[in-house]
Amino acid sequence: MPRIKDALFPLRKRSRYLLFCAVMLAVLFVLLILAAGLGSVSLPFETIRSIIVNTVMKKEVYPVTWEESAETILLGIRIPRILTAFIVGAGLTLCGILMQALTKNPLADPYVLGISHGASAGAVSVIMYGYLKFLGGYGTMVGAFCGAVISIALALKIAAIRNKVTATQLVLAGIAVSALFGAITNFMIYHTKTGSDKVKTATYWMMGSLSGASWEKLKYATIAFVICLIFILFLSKGLDVLLLGDDVAVTVGVNTERLKMGIIILATLLTGVIVSISGTIGFVGLTIPHITRSIVGTKHKRLIPASVLVGGTFLVAADIISRVAVAPEELPIGVVSAFFGAPFFLYLIRKSHGTFGG
Amino acid sequence: MKLEVKDITYSIDGKLIVDGVSLGIREGDFVGLVGPNGCGKSTLLKNIYKVYKPDAGAVFIDGKSTADMSSRETAREMSVMQQENNVEFDMTVYDMVMLGRYAHQKMFGTDMVSEREKVLAGIREVGMEGFEERSFLSLSGGEKQRTLVARALVQQAKLIILDEPTNHLDIGYQYQIMNILKRQNLTVFSSIHDLNVAACYCDRILLMKKGRIVDAGTPEEVFVPDKIRNLFGIDSSITINKATGRPNIMFIPQV
Repeated sequence: MPRIKDALFPLRKRSRYLLFCAVMLAVLFVLLILAAGLGSVSLPFETIRSIIVNTVMKKEVYPVTWEESAETILLGIRIPRILTAFIVGAGLTLCGILMQALTKNPLADPYVLGISHGASAGAVSVIMYGYLKFLGGYGTMVGAFCGAVISIALALKIAAIRNKVTATQLVLAGIAVSALFGAITNFMIYHTKTGSDKVKTATYWMMGSLSGASWEKLKYATIAFVICLIFILFLSKGLDVLLLGDDVAVTVGVNTERLKMGIIILATLLTGVIVSISGTIGFVGLTIPHITRSIVGTKHKRLIPASVLVGGTFLVAADIISRVAVAPEELPIGVVSAFFGAPFFLYLIRKSHGTFGG
Repeated sequence: MKLEVKDITYSIDGKLIVDGVSLGIREGDFVGLVGPNGCGKSTLLKNIYKVYKPDAGAVFIDGKSTADMSSRETAREMSVMQQENNVEFDMTVYDMVMLGRYAHQKMFGTDMVSEREKVLAGIREVGMEGFEERSFLSLSGGEKQRTLVARALVQQAKLIILDEPTNHLDIGYQYQIMNILKRQNLTVFSSIHDLNVAACYCDRILLMKKGRIVDAGTPEEVFVPDKIRNLFGIDSSITINKATGRPNIMFIPQV
């Protein structure tokens, strides 16, 4: 079997690559429809189609045969939630790609490094203590961004010895940083909240949830995501070179200091924004880039669009599972992503020991 | 002078590794840097190719200080080939060589047809044709190193710095890689471990010890038993290799 895999992947031909993207788009479309229909009130496909068409065209293309609540559920709750799932998945994937290029280590991702927890702590501090109010809807994001900046500085400081990030160092740094910021987050929540409320809030921030999705948050996150994506696409050639090591990057003409600063800013900004709308969802930034890389290759010009698609699709699927698995209850989405991601993480750690010697 | 180094000093963790080194390399020369392990060869070269920033001193290419040149500008003037490093991420030979074109490509409007031709020409030059689509990590040591030579060549810089280019390679590959470099119309500055390889290819040789350049000259001038004993602590006898006309160093170990 490995023979066949090696002969087929990564996809070299441009047409094959485009075909792969098209297939992913089709899968995504099917999952979007599925996600819109499933839930405590299930909506048939015709209803979904009719409501969307009527809303987009702003007139009654299809006669109204459904209850009014169906429209509220679909437009007010389900669609923003599904789109948020996509943006969160795609965004976490991008963060993973950036951090892997930064550390030259396929194990790096915002969750593993503890940056998600840092962002979480930042967001929670803003919500619980209410400073940064003057920023309105952006306040939580700014708080999360600050938390992400502090935690990434800390994580990289611990992880990098003589400019080299080994797998062991990286994992250890991640454990320390996420433990620290997880504790801070929980402390703040238990300090300000009472009763069952605090458990619920803590679960939200520690294991992630999309239940708080709204059009407004989605709008902010989408703007930030698109801006970061454009910048990252501009950096893609530099990212290719950076994977070979800072020394090599310098000698072929990359201004590594500027590039790395750019990566850190984009990665923390994006992590902050994503965490502020979804809490900490683990392992997406680790699993998705790795799988996509083995399919489309290492070049970022191809990897970035493809893995954004795969990552977004994955989280839409994970969201469906989280709503269906223990219905009518809802599973935190971080639980679903960890079920897929953690074994994969173990596999990668095992593999990296061979090459790094621990 | 193609490359001029003035009073470079560099320390790591308070320990002086490069101690006020100055040197000059003429256009078109093939210059070797020879010295025992830990004498600061690699550190000196890294100061020249801007991976390290010297504590004091400066490097000039064609009279221009490299500190005033952007990363791209430097890469167009000077290419570097290092020892094969551990890479975690795989790519094809073609993509690897294409990275050497980074400093010449713009964000938009790069003529990819001519870029492609240059990369394929570089791959041919090192005898790696047919390997374009092979994954880099699956190559043998010699093939990897030749790919890296191709990457340095397509950078089209007039000066090439080699940081222990043939370490870990068997003798056949060592000579093959040096042959490839020798037939390019370039100024070459290379650290070399094998004294016979150095004698065979270099126009001039610099001897380095404890962070300083202690001697310089043609292979005939510097490869004499006294100087070799002083540098490496081993006796030797020198003959002339009839095939190359260059000194041939035979070591006489105390067994």
